[in-house]
Amino acid sequence: MSTEEETCCNTHKLGLIYGALLLRVWLGVRAIQTGIEKYAGTKASDKAVDGPAGAYGMTDPDAVKNYALENYHGVPSGLMKKFEAEPMMLKFGLPLYDKILGPVLIILGVTILIGLASRTSLFLLGLLYVSLTWGLILINQNDGVAWLGTHMVLITLALMLSDHNRLAVLKKW
Amino acid sequence: MNQPHSSISRRSFLSKTAAGAGAGLVLGAPNSLRAADAGAPDTLHVALVGFGKQGEVLFNCLKNIPGLHFQAVCDISPFNLKWGMGQVGAHQKSRPQGYTDIDEMLATEKGLDAAIVATPDFWHSPHTVKCLEAGLNVYCEKMMSNTIDGARAMVHAMEKSGKLCQIGHQRRSNPRYRYVLDQLINGQKICGQIVNINGQWNRSLGSSQDIGGEKLHKSTIVPTDILNKYGFKDMHQFRNWRTYRDLSGGPISDLGAHQIDIFGWFLGVAPKSVYASGGNDYFKEREHFDNVMCIFEYDTPQGNVRAFYQVLTTTSAGGGFWESFMGTEATIKISEIASSSAIYREDGAPKWDDLVSKGYLIRKPAPPKPPPSADTVQVYESAPPEGFDLPGAFNKPAHQPHLENFFNAVRGKAKLNCDARHAFESEAPIYWVNPSALSKQPIIFTPEHLSV
Repeated sequence: MSTEEETCCNTHKLGLIYGALLLRVWLGVRAIQTGIEKYAGTKASDKAVDGPAGAYGMTDPDAVKNYALENYHGVPSGLMKKFEAEPMMLKFGLPLYDKILGPVLIILGVTILIGLASRTSLFLLGLLYVSLTWGLILINQNDGVAWLGTHMVLITLALMLSDHNRLAVLKKW
Repeated sequence: MNQPHSSISRRSFLSKTAAGAGAGLVLGAPNSLRAADAGAPDTLHVALVGFGKQGEVLFNCLKNIPGLHFQAVCDISPFNLKWGMGQVGAHQKSRPQGYTDIDEMLATEKGLDAAIVATPDFWHSPHTVKCLEAGLNVYCEKMMSNTIDGARAMVHAMEKSGKLCQIGHQRRSNPRYRYVLDQLINGQKICGQIVNINGQWNRSLGSSQDIGGEKLHKSTIVPTDILNKYGFKDMHQFRNWRTYRDLSGGPISDLGAHQIDIFGWFLGVAPKSVYASGGNDYFKEREHFDNVMCIFEYDTPQGNVRAFYQVLTTTSAGGGFWESFMGTEATIKISEIASSSAIYREDGAPKWDDLVSKGYLIRKPAPPKPPPSADTVQVYESAPPEGFDLPGAFNKPAHQPHLENFFNAVRGKAKLNCDARHAFESEAPIYWVNPSALSKQPIIFTPEHLSV
């Protein structure tokens, strides 16, 4: 191989490594933050305003976003009731899914981000998105299905680039 | 169907074990831990009667009120009942008893202090009367009843039983509304003489469609014999009772009652007449009018007041729902939605600099001056009024202060903000809107129209 060809090949390889890394970061951050957002809530100010309105319980209008365990909602309550009414939905599995969705997103996001068994983690994240897709198909949320479809494309790309995976804690699996 | 449901079910077991699984995975089980200890001496024991959409709205507020133990849930729909028991169980870590029949519940459950009634309108009066007669304090959703006689029966039952009965006109406990009435209208008299009132609830076509379609999962279907027993012809009636004449008062009571209540409350008098127009302009098959407009006339110590109200279920244009009190010196437009509220000082009225400096109001930034244009008719126009806002927000769910007021009253720490008698005085004129629209005639109120 000539020097020119080697340079070209190395440049190409570097692009693939960067591509694999960027996809890992994107998918990892996406999953982690989605999981964390399930613990997000809005805490309204409880500080009474100055002046006569304060005596009536009127407060500062600003509300502050906060994160707490008690805010957790795996499946949004509005969708939960729709799923409950679906004939094909496994009723006993729904509460379990609700409980674990957020934590699983965070765990898989972390493993993908740090490169811990990247391929298996990506595969499991893909399965999780398939499950979400199935739920959205049931309740006819086609926009959401298409949205998740783009995630599946990215996961597939990341798996295809897994030979170029670098900066990984555990490359096996 | 009338047997209490088991307090331990497969679902609750799974729910609890799943919480543990979630905890083990990462961050632990999510659930509010503020439910009352059922055995504590100051705990109030509550029955939830009706756990449909509105029942759930109320429960989500009740969860924020300390010292409540939800002892029983009652709903004729197995799906709603199971859902409600699950919601309550998740909140307080113990399953409530479940009933499909209120008589069974009242006969079986001992030690109840209060009932929250959120059933369809035509059941409000029978359910409230039963609970009051059983010695419970009652919070009942508005409209009191689908008939004025039903509402009268609730007042009689409250007064005979000596128990408390609060009707769900929740704006009466809303700090923003109370502040406006006490401090701005009656205290500082910023409106001058209130001459006109305008109010509306404009709801989009999309939000006004029938609930449910042909395809219903069997778990959501109430057996026909149960439906018939409780006054529903079929599932369509059960899910869309608001559109049937025998089951509800239609949009003017469903939506309008909240706001027409404010007219009378703020003015402090009952109207002397109503003239209404309505029709099935879009929803041709519905029994109730889809659009209604009406004018109430009031005779107040300050003079006559005309109040126009419209409820439209075919458009959301015009800014949703609000009430506007228009005086000679200012207009207060108020809504449960803070962004729909505003206060305008008339150009010739006394300045409000002092009120602003004392914190009664905050001044809105002046809007940009429009450039001169050919269609300007400044000769005929009034100067634009100066805009102000209320000096604070109300950050709780809309129904929560009214429920808090109810339970504070049950504990002897407050007076009800809207007991059944006052609610009747407010609602009685509303019962005559549809008759006026049907007859296309004004109705001049007599004591027979408005008295208990």
